[in-house]
Amino acid sequence: MEKVSRLSQEQRDNLVAYLDGELEDNESQEIDRILARSDVARHEVEALSRAWDMLDLLPNSKATSDFTNRTMSTLRLEETPGDFTDHPWFLLARRGAVMTAWLAAIAACGVVGFLATWKWYPNPHQRMLEELPIIRQLDVYAEVDSIEFLDALHREGLFDGGSNDAPPTP
Amino acid sequence: MKLTGDVAASSTNTPTLTESGYLRDPEVLLMLRARDGDDAAFSELVSAYQDRLVNIFHHLVQSQEAAEDLAQEVFLRIYRARRGYVPTARFSTWLFRIANNLASNSRRDRGRRKEVNLAGSDASSGLLGPRPQEQLAVDKSAFMPTRQLDKREMQAIVQKALGTLNDRQRLALLLHKYEDLSYEDIADAMEMSTAAVKSLLSRARESLRVALEPYMQIGR
Repeated sequence: MEKVSRLSQEQRDNLVAYLDGELEDNESQEIDRILARSDVARHEVEALSRAWDMLDLLPNSKATSDFTNRTMSTLRLEETPGDFTDHPWFLLARRGAVMTAWLAAIAACGVVGFLATWKWYPNPHQRMLEELPIIRQLDVYAEVDSIEFLDALHREGLFDGGSNDAPPTP
Repeated sequence: MKLTGDVAASSTNTPTLTESGYLRDPEVLLMLRARDGDDAAFSELVSAYQDRLVNIFHHLVQSQEAAEDLAQEVFLRIYRARRGYVPTARFSTWLFRIANNLASNSRRDRGRRKEVNLAGSDASSGLLGPRPQEQLAVDKSAFMPTRQLDKREMQAIVQKALGTLNDRQRLALLLHKYEDLSYEDIADAMEMSTAAVKSLLSRARESLRVALEPYMQIGR
């Protein structure tokens, strides 16, 4: 009997497929011929078969007894319409609303602070600014003896026009 | 797997023959009922596949809890997709395709969480310990089994041998072994060509043979 010292990879692939019944007829016949003439091939086939059979020694795992019930419960839970507060759009909107509220609060604090400062802590120079025209003429008005005299001059229209700062001479 | 006898009759939205050539598959009919709102039909599918899925995932992730989580996730994805379900393949093919995707995701997650043990080959020092191939090589070189091994020892040896395969090889092997899927069905589920599955299984079984050959006489 001819001894084939080494099988090609294709022959090895075909040996496995032969054992699995996955070869076409002509390919099976070719393997039959190889097996008939090759000790190596026969040894290979036997070893492959035994290794395959040894897989029967592996323990078989099974699902726990409540697996179906647990799975179906989980599936039904998936189908339950969720609370809208879980939706991403809601979370985004909530975050936006919180930021807007903070910005509005900061702005309101700014306005309140400004108003409080403006009302309760007035500018000490404000009155002076309002009376600046008088202050400018203070030296001149200091020359006037009485308010009645000024009223008389005002009634005569002496102070109605002109840009001349100097008071009219009587 | 036990199925109710009135599957076809109770369908309220019977698809036309042009819609699908898979109407002979009773699981497809159950899924169509689930599509129409029949949760009891979906529950039957869960019962039919739970053990099979958990078994396959357990061999992949080595944890009962993780295996059940993954199995539940498969059913969850199917349930979510039920309203748009149109049978274009056997139900099992679709289910195992989802299982394959989840197994890939699980692989990626485990890969990201991995801490590579660079310190040495001490089995107790790293998170993962020695690679299965290395441990098996150490076992093989350290001694030739000269005594009968009990069933638990043999299980551990076979488990370790299975661990020498990469995840895709392992999944293809498990689908072929436990689900008796053809190469074509495995190719559908794993989104590969049939030729690629043939090559994948050949390498997987070759690796298994190499790992188990020293124990083959003992295991008899």
